[in-house]
Amino acid sequence: MTALLPWLVAAWLLGIGLYGIVTSSNYIHLIGCLNVVQSATYVILLCVGYRWNAGPPIFDPQPPGTPAVDPVVQALVLTDIVIGATVSALLLALAVQLHKRKGTLDPEALRPMR
Amino acid sequence: MTDLLVPLPIALPLAAAAILLVFAHNWPEGAPDAIAVVVSLAVAAICGLLLPRVAQAPIAYWFGGWQPRHGLTLGIGFVIDQTGALIALFIALLFAATFIFARGYMPEIGTYFQALMLLMMTGMIGFCLTHDLFNMFVWFEVMSVAAFALTAVRLEASALEGALNFTVVNSIGSYLMLGGIGLIYAKVGALDFSALAQGIAKAGANPVVTAAFCLVVIALLIKAAIVPFQFWLSDAHAVAPSPVSVIFSGAMVSVALYGAAKLYRQVFAGDPAVDFAMHHLMLGMGAASAIVGGLMCLWQRHLKRLLAFSTISHVGIMLIGIGLPSAAGTVGMIVYLLGHGLVKASAFMVAGILLATYGGIDELGLRGLARPIWPAGLALALAGLLLAGAPIGLMGQGATLIGSAAASAGDIWAVVAMTLGAALTGGAVLRAAGRIFLGLGPVPGEEEFEPTEREAETRRPFWLMFAPCAVLVLAALTSGGTVARFVHRAAGPFIHPDNAGILQGAAKLTGSGGIAPLPPDPHPLVPWLGLALALGLAAWDLSRQYLPHRLLSLSRMGVAPVWAVLSKAHDGIIGDYVAWMVAGLAVMAAVLALR
Repeated sequence: MTALLPWLVAAWLLGIGLYGIVTSSNYIHLIGCLNVVQSATYVILLCVGYRWNAGPPIFDPQPPGTPAVDPVVQALVLTDIVIGATVSALLLALAVQLHKRKGTLDPEALRPMR
Repeated sequence: MTDLLVPLPIALPLAAAAILLVFAHNWPEGAPDAIAVVVSLAVAAICGLLLPRVAQAPIAYWFGGWQPRHGLTLGIGFVIDQTGALIALFIALLFAATFIFARGYMPEIGTYFQALMLLMMTGMIGFCLTHDLFNMFVWFEVMSVAAFALTAVRLEASALEGALNFTVVNSIGSYLMLGGIGLIYAKVGALDFSALAQGIAKAGANPVVTAAFCLVVIALLIKAAIVPFQFWLSDAHAVAPSPVSVIFSGAMVSVALYGAAKLYRQVFAGDPAVDFAMHHLMLGMGAASAIVGGLMCLWQRHLKRLLAFSTISHVGIMLIGIGLPSAAGTVGMIVYLLGHGLVKASAFMVAGILLATYGGIDELGLRGLARPIWPAGLALALAGLLLAGAPIGLMGQGATLIGSAAASAGDIWAVVAMTLGAALTGGAVLRAAGRIFLGLGPVPGEEEFEPTEREAETRRPFWLMFAPCAVLVLAALTSGGTVARFVHRAAGPFIHPDNAGILQGAAKLTGSGGIAPLPPDPHPLVPWLGLALALGLAAWDLSRQYLPHRLLSLSRMGVAPVWAVLSKAHDGIIGDYVAWMVAGLAVMAAVLALR
């Protein structure tokens, strides 16, 4: 059960995030939902690399060969966070600019080429 | 010496983008444009230097000297074969042409335009050359984020809305891809393509591998705008500045498919579920894209939106090439990618010329106005003929290869779909050329339904804008046979990479033999039929005033329901686009699970 739990959490986050995007009526809320979708990837990656009863992957006091969690996925999650921050910042900037021009953030009211 | 060259195609534009930004407002006028042109030409020259050096065997380059030892990969590598070097060369040349076309464009935003474009070029080239799945994802994101920003760079309302849709849909795709990377890493414990391929072969038929493939490939299909993931493209490409649209349609969408072909051939090939998905799902989705894109294209009056739908159709044809089991389909797809990139780039440049010269891009509004710049009309008509599937030049060669591979695999319906899709988009472009540059067809047709708007771009000297456009379309026209033979000769290491050599950190990789000889053409008449259909469609639309009224209303009755359904689906609401995407994902997963 404990091995399955992170996968269920990730699937749940993906599901509610996508549901939120599909039904959203405000771009700021929608961008928040996009971040929820992204958190699913954090959970998947961390769960992939996690080992029970293992320490951090730093071998200064302990000798090399001590059980440690996988450092590769941690690097992946860090990169993922950077990308997420970039995309969110860009999206929020777009939303601010759009609000200045149209005075609304409802996707129904804002359609390209209409 | 060769090893020094390998990182330069990404290091050079990345450094140039940074330097452009550091001195953002202190550059003398014209300097950023000149730097951008010089840098992209330099990257093209480096890729050109690499081409003969990897002719015998590909080069594996490990960043920081982290060579694999005893089959264990810790570092991140680029493996450069002739196919990859050729695609990188094509990207760099396309950017150089676009920078020349865009000289003096948007002076008010300073160097951001050039810096973002160089960043996007870096992302695309890195994406094509890398040999590590996560690194591929990072380059994919670099290219995407630069593209998101470039779409909105004019900060007009419709551009912002298009960019928002583009960003949200593509970001969801990226996160799915990352989830897929997590799954495959959990199963195989590696990210290097060769290590992944060996691990997948060892794991045998495995649902985790299939799920990972599904998630990763969906991200690439979203980027490539394949039905049902295509909705964002017409919003974004139509509102992006025209130099940006040139790159989007000419290279970005098709480069994503190149990535899908590379992943399939080098990593996932051999897994039975993945082979099934490629052959059946991809062929079906490709055919659907070819036809939906073609129909939507025919109903547009906004020239850039018309060309955007045409891109969806042609990307569908490329996907058919990837999905075919024989290597000839993949070779055909690469040739078609190059040809389509050149032709579509020049068509978008004509759209940009019209915007800059007449301050509009509405086909009906511009009717007959553009006679004085007839050379641009010639280029657009030529592009229309090539898009329609005329069996000449690069696109013709690629289409023949894909068609013959489909025919020899027994998928005649795929040949029908690609011929029809190409004919529809070619007919639409020819009609637009006839109306805008010759003043034909005063009676508006169905296309009057579709949206349009007023916009304008900075006025620049005509010949400066037209020269790159003419060079690109002529290159596509004249280079067919040579390039097709080259791609066929070079495809061996792309399709059968030397995985063992790469994993052992071998100083010299084996070139691995060539691939099977190409199958015969399906029928020499097929492309001419498509071309005739395109000319017929264009002639029909332009001569409505002379056609009997009964015939017109009959045809309108037949078309209206299809138009209503498709047009309602392309409604511009982000929630609906994402719902379509989830539905596509669910169908793909269900087909694979119930196979």
